[in-house]
Amino acid sequence: MPQHEHMERHRKLHGRRFDAEERERKREARLSHKRSEFAQKVHGLRAKLYNQKRFKEKATMRKTIAMHNERSNKHANDEAVADGAVPAYLLDREGVSRAKVLSNTVKQKRKEKAGKWEVPIPKVKPVADDEMFKVMRTGSKKNKAWKRVVTKCTFVGDNFTRKAPKYERFIRPTGLRMKRANVTHPELKTSFQLDILGVKKNPSSSLYTNLGVLTKGTIIEVNVSDLGLVTTSGKVAWGKMAQVTNNPELDGCVNAVLLV
Amino acid sequence: MPVYNFKTMAPVPSASDLVDIVLTRTQRKTPTVVHPGYKITRIRNFYMRKIKFTQQTISERLTAMLSDFPRLSDIHPFYSDLCNTLYDRDHYKLALGQINTARQLVDAVARDMIRMVKYGDSLYRCKCLKRAALGRMCTILKRQRASLSYLEEVRKHMSRLPALDPNTRTLLLCGLPNVGKSSFMNKITRANVDVQPYAFTTKSLFVGHTDYRYLRWQVIDTPGILDHPLEQRNTIEMQAITALAHLTCSVLYFMDVSEQCGFSIEQQCNLFRSISPLFANKQLVVVINKIDAQPYDTLESDKRDMIERLVKEGGPNTTMLQMSNVSEVGVSSVKNHACDKLLASRVDSRVSMKKTDSVMNRLQVFYPTARDGVVREAYVPESVLRERERAAAEGGEGKKTRKSRIGYAPTKDDDDDDDEGDETPAESGDEMMVGNGGGGAGDGGRRKKTARELMWENGGPGVWAPDYREQYDLLDPEWRFDAIPQILDGKNIADYFDPDIEEKLRMLEEEEDRLQAEYEAADMERTDGHDTRLDEMETAQVAEIRERVKIARAYKDRSGGRNRPALPREIRGRIKDCHDDDAKLKADAIERRLARVGVDASSMLERGRKREREGPREKRRQSRNARGDAEMEDASSGDYDEDGGVSMKVEGDERSKSKGAIKRQRKERVESARREQSMARSHSRPREPSQIGLKDESMAKVARMVEKKGQRKWFGGSGEGDHTKSVHLVKWCNTGKKRNGTHYSR
Ligand SMILES: Nc1nc2c(ncn2[C@@H]2O[C@H](COP(=O)(O)OP(=O)(O)OP(=O)(O)O)[C@@H](O)[C@H]2O)c(=O)[nH]1
Ligand SMILES: [Mg+2]
Repeated sequence: MPQHEHMERHRKLHGRRFDAEERERKREARLSHKRSEFAQKVHGLRAKLYNQKRFKEKATMRKTIAMHNERSNKHANDEAVADGAVPAYLLDREGVSRAKVLSNTVKQKRKEKAGKWEVPIPKVKPVADDEMFKVMRTGSKKNKAWKRVVTKCTFVGDNFTRKAPKYERFIRPTGLRMKRANVTHPELKTSFQLDILGVKKNPSSSLYTNLGVLTKGTIIEVNVSDLGLVTTSGKVAWGKMAQVTNNPELDGCVNAVLLV
Repeated sequence: MPVYNFKTMAPVPSASDLVDIVLTRTQRKTPTVVHPGYKITRIRNFYMRKIKFTQQTISERLTAMLSDFPRLSDIHPFYSDLCNTLYDRDHYKLALGQINTARQLVDAVARDMIRMVKYGDSLYRCKCLKRAALGRMCTILKRQRASLSYLEEVRKHMSRLPALDPNTRTLLLCGLPNVGKSSFMNKITRANVDVQPYAFTTKSLFVGHTDYRYLRWQVIDTPGILDHPLEQRNTIEMQAITALAHLTCSVLYFMDVSEQCGFSIEQQCNLFRSISPLFANKQLVVVINKIDAQPYDTLESDKRDMIERLVKEGGPNTTMLQMSNVSEVGVSSVKNHACDKLLASRVDSRVSMKKTDSVMNRLQVFYPTARDGVVREAYVPESVLRERERAAAEGGEGKKTRKSRIGYAPTKDDDDDDDEGDETPAESGDEMMVGNGGGGAGDGGRRKKTARELMWENGGPGVWAPDYREQYDLLDPEWRFDAIPQILDGKNIADYFDPDIEEKLRMLEEEEDRLQAEYEAADMERTDGHDTRLDEMETAQVAEIRERVKIARAYKDRSGGRNRPALPREIRGRIKDCHDDDAKLKADAIERRLARVGVDASSMLERGRKREREGPREKRRQSRNARGDAEMEDASSGDYDEDGGVSMKVEGDERSKSKGAIKRQRKERVESARREQSMARSHSRPREPSQIGLKDESMAKVARMVEKKGQRKWFGGSGEGDHTKSVHLVKWCNTGKKRNGTHYSR
């Protein structure tokens, strides 16, 4: 009964077949040919996936090669002039790295100067009413058509109670109600799942804002108390604006970017 | 009792593989065609099904994984501890826990997304939702990459764990590294464990099996243990400790008296003391190993004292034995001793358990009281008793009772015991006598040696084999050892060999003579002296007839004929050539024609005529009977059932006759019917067998017709056994302007 490292044990006792190394070498040598054969033959989705995979592999390969070559590479920074043995006509030159740093800071400054209330998605396609609402026919003969069902995702507050059917013109289906949003902090480059506090502005219409419809570009308020962000005055901020960046009715979730 | 076999666990796929498996399965096993024009409910169902199916596949796979891996709390404490030392219990539990949460998350995602799809109002929206759902589920799976690969490693390792049964009879070998545990293991089992002259050769538990007293014993080889605190022990040592702690077994503590292992005897004693708590409730044997290098007797006395004190400390269950793997001294005695001790203790524990009491209480032994004073002993045949007496008288008092040798080869020890060569035949002869019922008593007790005995005398099996030619039973015993060639005169003699060839030949010749005589006698009788030979004219006629037959046959062959068996004319004549009015051939013509081919037609014609004569008469007889039946029926219905259909018809027929005539006629008919009935009763006649079950004559007629029709096909024609299959011409292939082969689809 084989137990533990029985393969190694067998090899130790009986050795390997005499051409094992040769076979391995040949298999290795054939591998690239095999791969290329496959790559030429494959098509469709598999080709796409395969190429993506190969691309990633090659990128890492290139990176590792570059890393190994690092010592022999010429870097701009290496040219940084060492003081001491420098001819006079070269004295005012500086290492390139310094320039890099400068340009970065300039870019940063420019970014900060830009309008504070600029939003990530400045323009959105307006959503028409007939796309937003579906007519619901009511009455025992189904001949009345004054009720509307919202077809997009909505935010409905915790303490909402529906009106009496006689007065309820807009219906927001429970299946499409959203409570949480995946909010990305643009500077921290991390995402958090946060509670939605309310819909501040739907760019398409104020009616939609009132109804709490979540479409792409909608500004929502999210609860950031867990993040421990602090306002300039030193208070802990708990509500912050964020802009919805996806179509929640197509993705089944709300993605947003925090406005800072 | 659970069986600990971890080899059946299914492989755990890596995260990316799992994603591939799941998505491929969804693609293959759910419908793939949907159109925006479909009803929206159908579209929604299409996508909901995809989501649901994916979720089900994932949770199926993950559940299978979770149920495959044993729960550490459920398995034997030995295994759970072993898993702890090898794989780290926390890590193991965490990995399984994460798989479990992943499963729950996938379920939740599927539930949410299906709910959203229910509100989808277009194919595009449903499709996007499906895509999002599948993507989220796959992401959850991808996050499990680390746990999945860990579990796969664990599975691989577990599948290679020795199949060790914690509850069976076990010998456990332990001690410092390099003291000769594995060497001993290789001596008593076939486990083939690695033996090397350096420490920690064995790095994990090994299991082997050995036999003792017809029982199977499990032997466990453990890695060497060093003498230091438990916390400092590494994984390799911990495996040995685990085995020591959890298995009820007989422990063999190995000590190297030669100190070749690199540890002094004092160190070995210290280790014994430090792990002695683990020896509690176990049978302990201290094995003094390597006595070939350093005999125990010549050991320095202080070291010997140390060891003896140690054994005394071990308690009453401890014994000390000496052995050497190199000279093989004491190997089997160590094994036997350890096994015996364990067996005794196991039996003791069984007996002391409550279970046996309940059985013992139910056991009772009865002795029947003697019915009378007669002694009834086992019956031993006279001849056997005689033989025994004789053997006792001859063999004298030097004879020992010994087991029969049949069935095994004598060992070296046995041969040492055998101080006299003549004992063997006498004694086994004794056994033979018993078997034969004293059949060989006539030869004065010294019977022939058996072939087996001869074989042993001449060097055993493979060296000497009996020559079976001695026993050949031939006419002349001198022929026995003659060489028989296989090929003689270029012929294989086996082909010509027949033991009864002489006899057969004789019989054949006799038969031939007899037949000859008979034939001649018959010939004489028939011809009565005439000359049977044909004259010239007759010969010519015969030749002509033969010629005609040949021509007729050829003609028939050429014309193809029908595919049915040829009937001999004698039989066919009855039906085909029957000689009624509408037969085509008149009797003369038939005669002439048959005469031309040399057939005598007279008997055939006679038969045909006879048939012709008989046929109508039979028919007549039948019809008369039928009429009688009908009349009888009429009469009965007329009598007893005035409204019956038959009597109504009769009345209708006879309306034209006068009333008196009718009355008379009816009376007559009734009379005759009565008479007929009584006659029928007086010699009751059964219905014809072919008509049983048929209502009346008309039905019988129909049945006859059907029967005839059915038989028409069978008789002479090709029947259902003659399978022919005509070529079925497909219409579209064979009509139209295109000719064969002009289109690729032909
Ligand atoms: N002279 C002599 N040498 C022996 C005897 N038994 C084992 N050896 C030698 O001792 C060495 C170690 O034997 P192993 O059986 O591998 O010892 P082990 O106890 O299994 O060692 P670990 O697996 O490392 O714990 C080998 O070189 C054997 O040849 C013996 O009875 N006499
Ligand atoms: Mg070993």
